[in-house]
Amino acid sequence: MNLDPLNFLGQTLALLLLAPLLSGCIKNWKAKLQNRRGPRPWQVYFDIAKFLRKDMVISEHASWVFSFAPYVVFLTALLAGLMVPMISAPAPLRLFGGVLAVVGLLALGRFFLALGGLDPASTFGGMGSSREMTISAIAEPAMMLAIFTVAITAGSTDLSQIAQSTQSATWKLLNPAHVLAFAALFVVLLAETGRIPVDNPATHLELTMIHEAMLLEYSGRYLAFMEWGASIKQLVLMTLLVNVFFPLGLAGPQASVAALGISLAAYLAKLLALSAVVVVVETTNAKMRLFRVPDLLSTAFVLAALALLSTFLFQ
Amino acid sequence: MHPPTTLEISSQVIPLMATLMLVVQLLLIAQRMLLTSIRLFAIQSLLLAGIAAVVAYYYNAGHVYVVAVLTIVGKVIFLPWLLNRLVHRIQIHQDTEPLLNAPTSMLICAALTLLGYSVTRPFTSLEKLGNNTLAIALALLLTGFFLMINRRKALTQVLALLTVENGVMLAAVALTTYGMPLVVELGIFFDVMVAVMVLGILVYRIRENFDSMDTGKLDQLKG
Amino acid sequence: MMESSAILLTFALWAYVAGMAGALVLQRAERLANVIGFGLAALGGVCGVIFSVSSLAAGRAMTIAPVTLWSGPIPAVRLVVEADALSCFFVLIVSLVGLAISVFSLGYARTYYGRKNVGVLAGVFNALLLVTTLVFIAGNLWMFLIAWELMALLAYAMVSFEHEDRETRQAGVLYFIMSHLDAACILLGFLMLTQAAGDFSFASLRGIGAKLSPQQRDAAFMLFVIGFGIKAGAVPLHIWLPVAHPVAPSNISALMSGVLIKTGIYGLARVCFEFLGPPPMWWGATLLTAGTVSAVLGVLYALMEHDLKRLLAYHSIENIGIILMGLGAALMFLHTGHAVLASLALIAGLYHTINHAVFKALLFLGAGAVLHATHTRNMEEMGGLAKRMRWTSLFFLVGAVAISALPPLNGFVSEWLTYQSLLQGFGTTTSLVRLMFPLGGAMLALTGALAAACFVKAFGITFLAQPRSEHARNAHEASLPMLVGQGILTAACIILGLFPTAFLKLLDPLTQQLTGHQLSQQLTVANGLVLSGATAQGGTVSTLGITLMFVCLLPVPLALWAVFARRTRTRIAPTWDCGQRGLTPQMEYTATGFSKPLRMIFKALFRPRREVQREYDFSPYFATTLRFESHMEEVFQSRIYRPVNLWLLRLSRRLRALQAGSLQAYLIYVFITLVALLLFAS
Repeated sequence: MNLDPLNFLGQTLALLLLAPLLSGCIKNWKAKLQNRRGPRPWQVYFDIAKFLRKDMVISEHASWVFSFAPYVVFLTALLAGLMVPMISAPAPLRLFGGVLAVVGLLALGRFFLALGGLDPASTFGGMGSSREMTISAIAEPAMMLAIFTVAITAGSTDLSQIAQSTQSATWKLLNPAHVLAFAALFVVLLAETGRIPVDNPATHLELTMIHEAMLLEYSGRYLAFMEWGASIKQLVLMTLLVNVFFPLGLAGPQASVAALGISLAAYLAKLLALSAVVVVVETTNAKMRLFRVPDLLSTAFVLAALALLSTFLFQ
Repeated sequence: MHPPTTLEISSQVIPLMATLMLVVQLLLIAQRMLLTSIRLFAIQSLLLAGIAAVVAYYYNAGHVYVVAVLTIVGKVIFLPWLLNRLVHRIQIHQDTEPLLNAPTSMLICAALTLLGYSVTRPFTSLEKLGNNTLAIALALLLTGFFLMINRRKALTQVLALLTVENGVMLAAVALTTYGMPLVVELGIFFDVMVAVMVLGILVYRIRENFDSMDTGKLDQLKG
Repeated sequence: MMESSAILLTFALWAYVAGMAGALVLQRAERLANVIGFGLAALGGVCGVIFSVSSLAAGRAMTIAPVTLWSGPIPAVRLVVEADALSCFFVLIVSLVGLAISVFSLGYARTYYGRKNVGVLAGVFNALLLVTTLVFIAGNLWMFLIAWELMALLAYAMVSFEHEDRETRQAGVLYFIMSHLDAACILLGFLMLTQAAGDFSFASLRGIGAKLSPQQRDAAFMLFVIGFGIKAGAVPLHIWLPVAHPVAPSNISALMSGVLIKTGIYGLARVCFEFLGPPPMWWGATLLTAGTVSAVLGVLYALMEHDLKRLLAYHSIENIGIILMGLGAALMFLHTGHAVLASLALIAGLYHTINHAVFKALLFLGAGAVLHATHTRNMEEMGGLAKRMRWTSLFFLVGAVAISALPPLNGFVSEWLTYQSLLQGFGTTTSLVRLMFPLGGAMLALTGALAAACFVKAFGITFLAQPRSEHARNAHEASLPMLVGQGILTAACIILGLFPTAFLKLLDPLTQQLTGHQLSQQLTVANGLVLSGATAQGGTVSTLGITLMFVCLLPVPLALWAVFARRTRTRIAPTWDCGQRGLTPQMEYTATGFSKPLRMIFKALFRPRREVQREYDFSPYFATTLRFESHMEEVFQSRIYRPVNLWLLRLSRRLRALQAGSLQAYLIYVFITLVALLLFAS
């Protein structure tokens, strides 16, 4: 078993440090696109540090599940991130799980997040939990079908192998199955990370919240872990999208330092490009009514089904 | 990594554009704003013209360029302009509720696509270009028909007919290496143009008489 | 000549007999009946577990060769038992779950002291364990059918245990009728097979399908699917399950959901893989489709329930669907000749069988403890139990995480194996049938996510937030035997989840017998730490590794705490109430409200109807009473079963015309029959 400690530590640090920066960048660009100045991209670090240093207030009705949930959310997001190839193709924990384990770990985090929303006996928390579980349930078939399509063409659910198989021929990236699966997963990304048009991450109105509603009762370091965990989850899903569908420049195993450097630069560039697309989509669309979201996600499902059909019909 | 040969590029780009045509068709089915539907139809025709251009370039078939240009002039510029003008004159910008809601119609279209694929599987050997765009053409035909049944506003039904015609053109362009004889293509083309102009006038008349474009009101069509 | 394993099994069976006799004899002395009855059942369970684990570990195909227990006057009528690898696996399930439930019942039966007959409860429980074990080790048709019918009869007795309730009586009758339907179908199917074999023993039935004509094989297959499907609870044959399981005492519900429905799976596995011979493609495709439909519909209906035990019963339907998906895929792979993939799919299905038995029993036992503490099955009257019943809530949470197929517990492992078999199944054929595999995978993902949503609701509404009723406020922790019983199953969930590679070695003789392949070597990587998906194309997963990494990464948040948060304090304060004076339990989210979005999205399936009636004195805006009723259409009852019932009744009314009532008419019937027979014979 080759668990490379350097790879492991490096990727953990990258996940921890890059995630808040990505959230900050998206906030900043969204503001700029709306003709505002926006917060500095590294403001999120200061926010997290502030939360960590603050006292906590815990509801009198909450049980041990409330205190357990932030750690689960944080650690599952981190673990899932370690199974996804970021800079070098073999991810540190590739032996411990592939794409199914990543989906399962994120589901575990979501399970405890929803329980943490129900625990303090607040109505808003219950509403957030209910909506979050509904949307994630409808998004799962589209996600799984798109992942299946990609895994079928690559021949494995091991993410590093999927990334390496798509790396072989660049112009094959224009394969219709690929493009459609990417489109379906992009819609699922918007749903899972709670972005417009599914959920508004910047809303202050409790009745329009989904993810924020479950965090309303959290404060202090628990809130820091929850927010950080959410941004790590966003980074993990974006990395999945970027490195599995466009693995240009991804360094192979036993790569030299130069190759790793190129890989890092390519990765950051791709991540920023995807963030730009997310920012444009968020700015040009309005949040959908809750009962219109299944329409959007069924579109994603049909796109994924088309991707599946395209795999064996254009062979 | 060696540079791609012409066959490989065309065999990647053409299926991609054909699939995008199908995706645009699906978006058309879920769309309710008439102006956006017209724009989507224009995009679909642009993709069709693109496919024709790629075929002409890689197989050195000059007359297929003519088809591409005609498609752009007619279906990307002229017809959408005509339909836009019609919508502004009639002042109705939104379609009524379709018979089946959006997710159900999407699933039916996925099933129709599958039907198209399964029916054309034995015919893949007939295609000189070596890819299964015939399946997409058939899917466009079936889903266009479904769109005609599902919607009630006459304008959307005209658009659906035009997408069916797009599917037929795709089949013509993709089935043979050199496209169909130019005369046949021109014939189809002008036929459709005339049909749309007549339908445009008819739609206006229907609106004047019944005060709505709802073809459901045409229930006195008996002898 | 008895070997040690046979001795163990005999000891277990005699323990059940002794428990049954002792409990029934000592009916008047409640405490003694309780301890002796359930204590001996636990002892039998322990012996059964040791027997089955050692037999499977020894790796032999046939642990106990066919033994004739009793010979009747006619040579054909005999009772034969045999224990091969498949039997040992299912004996493991019944013994493990039986053991945990027996220990639980030592405490649970105390709730019936003075109210009902504890001796009968304990005695029939032992008898039920005995006959279920006999079903699994039956070696010929007589033994199998007698044990099967006894099992149905005893289960009916247990379902109707609290027969003072009208709802319970009706549930019992429905269960009885459906059991007989399934016994009839199974009997017919087996008769077709034994007619071709000429002998009633299972040994002669192996591979008998080759001697039947294709139409006969297909007919037999359909009979078996209907018969075993009713028992297992597959859609659309499932209507008895959500009616019968909730009304039984909770330990019996756990036994029924955990073990009795698995007899249907045992029957299907035995018949499809051993007796009926090489399967055509449509057999596997039917099972796969039935499994997918059961899984999705089961979980959708579970989401709409706020009766805790009915919710769990619907989840049993969902998990049976997942098991059938694995078995169906295995049959399809056997048809296309991919024996390795068939073994993988079979392993996935059987692993999910034992996983479901363990976590479903755990959840039902937890529900029993909650029911005992709050005196209600309705989730809308519970709440806040996590603080009052700490251990029960912890065990229930483990069960909820396991059933939602979340890592690192056992549900995740068996669903991972199912996904792997479906994924690799795509390349096995070139026909359009292969589309069923990814679509099945997508539907499996849907059920997993919906199950997680359902258990957030079940655990959250029952155990978290504020108590919604007086009983919930005064709830107390369950007694020690109840906690130990739940603890045994929790430990089993964790072990089955963290050490799948060790458990897969036990399944080797099973797959060797049924599909001819032993897969545990191929599925184990890195000295047993990592589970892999059979072929080179499968991925790998390690639940033990994930857990270890969790522990390894724990220093990260702890370090952050140490660096930043050491001087912070934690204050307990009321929940934010928008400026009102305190939140009441009525302001919490309800179970019905939690699943409302899903009810709206799947309106076409549920067809919800709501009625609001208001009574008012002088103006409708000032109502004195408000009545709200919301219910969903029971699709299967109204569209399938009621029309069939009506048709049967109409038919029998027509036939009743034959009963003219007069003696002459009956004499004429006899005369006509006699003449017809004479003419026919000549």
